[in-house]
Amino acid sequence: MVALVFLFAPLAIVVLFAFHETNSLTPPFEGFSTRWFSEVVSDRAVRSGLMTSLRVASLTAVATFVSGTAAAYGVSRTESRLKSVYAGLFLLPIALPALILGIAMLSFFSSRGIALSTTTVVIAHTVFVAPVFFVIARTALDRVEVAQLEAAADLGAPPWYRFRRVILPQVLPVLLAGAAMAFVISFDEFIVTFFVIGSESTLPLVIFSRLRRTIDPSVNAISSLLLFANLAVWLAAVLYAVRLQRRRRRDSLAQKETRT
Amino acid sequence: MTDSVRLAVQHLTHRFGHSEVLTDVNLEVRDGEFLTFLGPSGCGKTTTLRAIAGFLTPTEGKVVLDGEDITGLPAHRRPVNMVFQQSTLFPHLDVGRNVAFGLRVAKVAKAEIATRVAEALSLVRLEGFERRRPTELSGGQRQRVNLARALVNRPRVLLLDEPLSALDLKIRLEMEAELRRVHRELGATFIYVTHDQREALALSDRIAVFNAGRVIQLDTAEAIYREPRSQFAASFVGDANVFAIDVWGSDADGVITADGLRLPLATPGPVSGPHWLVVRPEDVRFGRPGGALEATVTDAAFRGSALTYRAECAALNSTIKAEVPDELGTVPVGSLVSVTWNPQRARLLPRSD
Repeated sequence: MVALVFLFAPLAIVVLFAFHETNSLTPPFEGFSTRWFSEVVSDRAVRSGLMTSLRVASLTAVATFVSGTAAAYGVSRTESRLKSVYAGLFLLPIALPALILGIAMLSFFSSRGIALSTTTVVIAHTVFVAPVFFVIARTALDRVEVAQLEAAADLGAPPWYRFRRVILPQVLPVLLAGAAMAFVISFDEFIVTFFVIGSESTLPLVIFSRLRRTIDPSVNAISSLLLFANLAVWLAAVLYAVRLQRRRRRDSLAQKETRT
Repeated sequence: MTDSVRLAVQHLTHRFGHSEVLTDVNLEVRDGEFLTFLGPSGCGKTTTLRAIAGFLTPTEGKVVLDGEDITGLPAHRRPVNMVFQQSTLFPHLDVGRNVAFGLRVAKVAKAEIATRVAEALSLVRLEGFERRRPTELSGGQRQRVNLARALVNRPRVLLLDEPLSALDLKIRLEMEAELRRVHRELGATFIYVTHDQREALALSDRIAVFNAGRVIQLDTAEAIYREPRSQFAASFVGDANVFAIDVWGSDADGVITADGLRLPLATPGPVSGPHWLVVRPEDVRFGRPGGALEATVTDAAFRGSALTYRAECAALNSTIKAEVPDELGTVPVGSLVSVTWNPQRARLLPRSD
């Protein structure tokens, strides 16, 4: 119970004061208003920060999807004795703290003379989230039976066709969930971004710089909006998972009935 | 079936690391033939099949299809198709799309695909199953779809890797009859792998008996049953009494062992030394005690049309299995009987030990 209070009370307070009429962030609550929301929505810095974050997160999701899927597919199909070594190498960055990764990325970019921009942020974010995506993708890929791929080859399908028509359709839902996760992590990532961003700002950076200047309920309003957006994504994911589970249960039931 | 060779395997040898799983395998499959690779697990039959399908490149030797060396071709470029032991239907596609898979890869026209898929499904008696999901099918139905998915491509050779072994006995017998019918209707060339000698006898035109990475005999089922060329083939194909005997000499009625036993055997010719004597259970008969060979009946079982017995024979130091037609009456367990067999059907094989 106490833990729940600790968990949800701050969130409730943030949301509550987003609707505060005055610019005070401490009780007593003096009146209800949506003025901070309209202020936030019309704020150019917030809007450009949001656009930057959306762009960075989308590109990160796509880059992670492509490189992570390729890496996981390569590792799950190789018959090399170094298989577990490869898998380990792809996983290693998971152990890296964001702070160290940020510094390492920054010194790498500057030593190569690469100008910092949202592109460098996308690269850094991809390095940051790829290991997690890799784990998810490998689990899904390993569930596709080798015998099915042999059957596809036997039916005349060359390697790319086998991947495109046999593997991908079976693992796509999981890969998309992984990409969505990459999107969410990238969207509110702060530390790595802080090191490798150039002149632009992502939304977390906008909020941070605003907090340093003044504290008013507009920050609460932004946070509340993000909270609700996150909740919506969560809810969609949960509903999707439930539907998938139901279909699977129905399939296995049907299977039991038709046996004998 | 014609006598022209559809597929030949020549000097096939394969090693996994240091262990040799195939040793100089040679065989020819005739056009339209139902050939079975029969042997215990680990005998090399599946490895040979996979080399034909293109799933493994043999260490040595060639696979020749219609006169063309296909050893170097990857699986997806070989005009052969396979039905696997476990169903390998694609779970994300319905039955129609599963069967159409090979045709779509080959970019066959849409209208033709639909016709051929319907034909293939009707061949395996699953008309109208196009929209079903693989998970909605029973095990037997699934293997029928796998069969249709392979046959729809009109493979030059159909490979079947123990396709019935995962099914219940009743369905298995039903599917055997179906396979025979499909083979008859299409006149296609089938290579079938199994460890079940009963299945091999029921299905095949010819059987290649595998043991320890070699083909030890390739012939019709009847020829292998009547004229096994080795003790292994004799005991693996059909039920057999195999007695280890030391032959001292022979005459017109049979052989005489070093122990002085006279065993009936037609025209053995001049023989001596260690041999196997192979006698099928259905050729064994019991008589009143007092013959050259006596045994004590230890077990009798009623099998419908026949009675099967086991009898201990001290002189041969062996158990004798006998299968006697019902109308000859029953012999009670515990009785002492004399044992005889049809000398025309007993076989003598050289033994090295």
